[in-house]
Amino acid sequence: MPDDDLRRTILNMLQGVEHPREKAVDVMYLLQRQYGYLCDEALVVGAELLGMTPLELEELATFYDFIYRRPVGKYVIHVCDGVVCWMHHEDDIFRHLCARLGVRPGETTADGLFTVLPTVCIGDCDKAPAMLVNGRFYGPLTPGRVDEILETLRSGDEERVLCP
Amino acid sequence: MSRKPEEASCRLTIDGREIVVAADTPVIDAAERLGIMIPRFCYHPALGAVGACRMCAVKFLDGPVKGLQMSCMVGARDGMVVSTTNPEAVDFRRQVVEWLMANHPHDCPVCDEGGHCLLQDETISGGHALRRYRGPKRTYRDQDLGPFVAHEMNRCIHCYRCARFYQEVAGGRDYGVLSIARRTYFGRYEGGRLESPFAGNIIDLCPTGTLTDKPSRYRARRWDLERGPSVCLHCSLGCGLTVGARYREVMKLEARLNPEVNGHFICDRGRYGFGYESRPDRPRQPRVDGRETIAGAALAALAEGLKPFEAGKVAMVGGTRSNLETLAALLGLCRDQGWRPPVFFRDARLAGAAESAAAALSGDLVASLADVGRADVILVVCADPLAEAPMLALSLRRAARRGAAVLVLDHRPCDLPCEAERLTFAPQELAGCLSRLAHAALRGRKEAAAYLSSLPLPPDLLPETALALDTWGKRLAEARFPLVVCGTDQAEPTLPALAGGLARLLAGSHDQDRRAGFLPLLPGPNGLAAALAGGGDLEALLADIEDGRATALLVVESDLLSRTPEPERWLAALRKLKLLAVCDHLPSPLLEAAHVVLPSRTVFEAGGHFVNQEGRLQRAMPVFSPGLPMGRTLREGHPPRLFMSCAPGSEPRPAADWLKDLAGLLGAGGRAGDWADLAAAFPGLPGLAAGPAPENGRRCLPETAPGADAPSVAKTGSPDVPPDHLQVLLVERTFGTEELSCRAPLLAASAPEPWVDLAAADAGKAGLAHGAWLLVPLPGGPLRARLRVHQDMAPGLLLLPRDPRLLWQRLAGTGVLVELLRLHAITAEEEPAGEDTTLEAEP
Repeated sequence: MPDDDLRRTILNMLQGVEHPREKAVDVMYLLQRQYGYLCDEALVVGAELLGMTPLELEELATFYDFIYRRPVGKYVIHVCDGVVCWMHHEDDIFRHLCARLGVRPGETTADGLFTVLPTVCIGDCDKAPAMLVNGRFYGPLTPGRVDEILETLRSGDEERVLCP
Repeated sequence: MSRKPEEASCRLTIDGREIVVAADTPVIDAAERLGIMIPRFCYHPALGAVGACRMCAVKFLDGPVKGLQMSCMVGARDGMVVSTTNPEAVDFRRQVVEWLMANHPHDCPVCDEGGHCLLQDETISGGHALRRYRGPKRTYRDQDLGPFVAHEMNRCIHCYRCARFYQEVAGGRDYGVLSIARRTYFGRYEGGRLESPFAGNIIDLCPTGTLTDKPSRYRARRWDLERGPSVCLHCSLGCGLTVGARYREVMKLEARLNPEVNGHFICDRGRYGFGYESRPDRPRQPRVDGRETIAGAALAALAEGLKPFEAGKVAMVGGTRSNLETLAALLGLCRDQGWRPPVFFRDARLAGAAESAAAALSGDLVASLADVGRADVILVVCADPLAEAPMLALSLRRAARRGAAVLVLDHRPCDLPCEAERLTFAPQELAGCLSRLAHAALRGRKEAAAYLSSLPLPPDLLPETALALDTWGKRLAEARFPLVVCGTDQAEPTLPALAGGLARLLAGSHDQDRRAGFLPLLPGPNGLAAALAGGGDLEALLADIEDGRATALLVVESDLLSRTPEPERWLAALRKLKLLAVCDHLPSPLLEAAHVVLPSRTVFEAGGHFVNQEGRLQRAMPVFSPGLPMGRTLREGHPPRLFMSCAPGSEPRPAADWLKDLAGLLGAGGRAGDWADLAAAFPGLPGLAAGPAPENGRRCLPETAPGADAPSVAKTGSPDVPPDHLQVLLVERTFGTEELSCRAPLLAASAPEPWVDLAAADAGKAGLAHGAWLLVPLPGGPLRARLRVHQDMAPGLLLLPRDPRLLWQRLAGTGVLVELLRLHAITAEEEPAGEDTTLEAEP
């Protein structure tokens, strides 16, 4: 269950909003931040607070890339597979990243540190190829740069699931 | 062509042929009118265009739009030249269908849609015959969507029809679109029964085998079915159905398009309310004194038995589910023999309400179901649309989505799939509230003076309630197309007349191009014809039988014993009868008591005409010949080792034929049974004289109503309810209470568990909680049911559904009151275990 603080935050956010469902994505982010991912319990609670059915919230939750309906690692890496990144050999970067971590896209490393996901264009095409790690932008990437980033992340303590 | 196109219409050329259509008609529709069926998946006339599937691409050669375009997204304009056969368009469509087929499984031989599948048709017609794609296909996990809809997501082509219907048209909130792109999934949050009572329509809408009819799965291919147009008998709206039967059994019902009535859709009560025609306990053999016999002998015995009776002591009971032919034969028989006029309604209140509704109806005022969607202010009085006429709820939603304001005045907690204002009053206060509203709507109108002075005084109202009624009155007066809906099932006898009178005066206040509408809900599919025929009511007849004023009784297609709140009293009265004959196709305890049993045919076997609540004459075709379903005879070894020239179990005859032959034996034959006869039997439906109805029916009402301007307002005695007592009201529900569909095995097996309703204030006083099991002390014994507590329900009432799974007949009387504090919740130990929510039926 979400703690009282979170419940209060959500209710405050919905106060005075004409159509509570316009805040659905914000509510999902808040819940995801507490739970680490948007688990079934969080989704049902969120739907109840928003006056939506679980199906209605699930429609949104499964539509968006940055709402995680399954457990994710400490660092969620979204590799851009937009056209510009693709032209800059993003494919090689993606392959290199997966090989280095020993996972396929969509999987989480055994130590629970990294989840690799593709994402649509993140809009920083001048720094292609690019990726996001917990919401932080990295680019332009080379295989060497990717190794460096992974090393820093392993030793550092980036905040969990940092999406807005 | 010399005819000039009318204003706001345009002329375009499609494949070299000209057509004039209203401007902005989708080109795909304009082509269809020329008989050119442009391939499509996502487009559906009832859902509109979204341009999602790219299948309806055509080439615009000339005019305001040029090039390859989706024909559903382009509105018709003058001078358009369209080619559906242009090589570029044909090639585009071929590629689209190949791409849609890339993930589609090759399972047509085991798919129930095979044979009437739009995807099959358009794959073939699109010219995609060889699969080039060799990669792995996208796969999904299916869900269990309940007893009616089978789910096979791998077959889905993502046309979105199902979700658009379910959420937009039907207002359902538990089925939709999940995920994104090629992972797009149509389903629920988790498996489970689809909650909307209109869910079955997604089966008709799905252009592939993704959503198919579960009960008829693997039982018949489309081409195996005997199919025919029919009319739904499960309420008074008369929605169009297509019956599909095989091996002397109805396999499935589908919605049949009738633009002015149901449109493309039907409710699940109509779709799954069949199955009573193939029940093992259906009467199929004529019987005299308990012994099976042949038709001629049974009729002769009945005719002989009737002869000694004084004409005034013979009574007939008819049913509103009978076809028009049966009702006419029944009326003719009573008239010719001088018997008592036939009785159709359960009590004087219902008979009065139905008659006053029928009297208020006329061609210039009546509104069809499609009109509901066109209205801008709608007043619903004493009607629970989802329970009494489910498709009306869908029409109200359509109106509300177009911006109409809806007000519901009722005592029940009416659920609606749309936004509506609810004002709750006790049933006996409704007329007074309508009066307040009418005064506000018609203030200062000279021609309304007589009407207004005839209205009852409004009850004491809270200031805000009075204000709300006044506001709604003004809204009605200012509306472009105000519409009044009035139920009869719970209404005081005068209420429909008052509602109709209000609608009539609202119409009078308008300019020529404005109108008003009145839409009453009547009891049963032929309730209007029965109401126009008049007659008494069953309560009065019961008293007459008890007093010996009626000693012979013929009951035709009316299950009075299972529908009466006083079964014991009726059983005792029936034993006093010297002759009881029953003609029906429903199994009922009445058959056991009968001296003569004449088995009749169901609507699927006999067909016949029905007049719905707007006076629309519609025809149901006989679809198959009666007989024991082969599913049953096969188990006993098929073919039956009997020498006979007909199928086993084929003795049932149309009820009208039984009655005509009986009339012949009684020496009053000679009725031709033609249209002149029908018209003579129902003077209130002058349109009958014009003969058979066209495919979508024809209104038969008189242009103006005879008693329309002066509603006769009789004083209605409001029951004296002592404090802390509840008035028990018998109510209808969407599923489980209607006379025919409550005998449908599919609905009986899957209908939600029956419950009783109580207002929150009363529940609070008695300390009862929502969802508790309740023991209700009724005069005939205790009744056990689940309780639902409602904020928006009139206090002082206990709503009890006429559901055979509840022992509601323990009511043992009418106007029953129960003491609020004598209701009590059952402790956990006393609760019925598991699924067993019913008690044993009374012996």
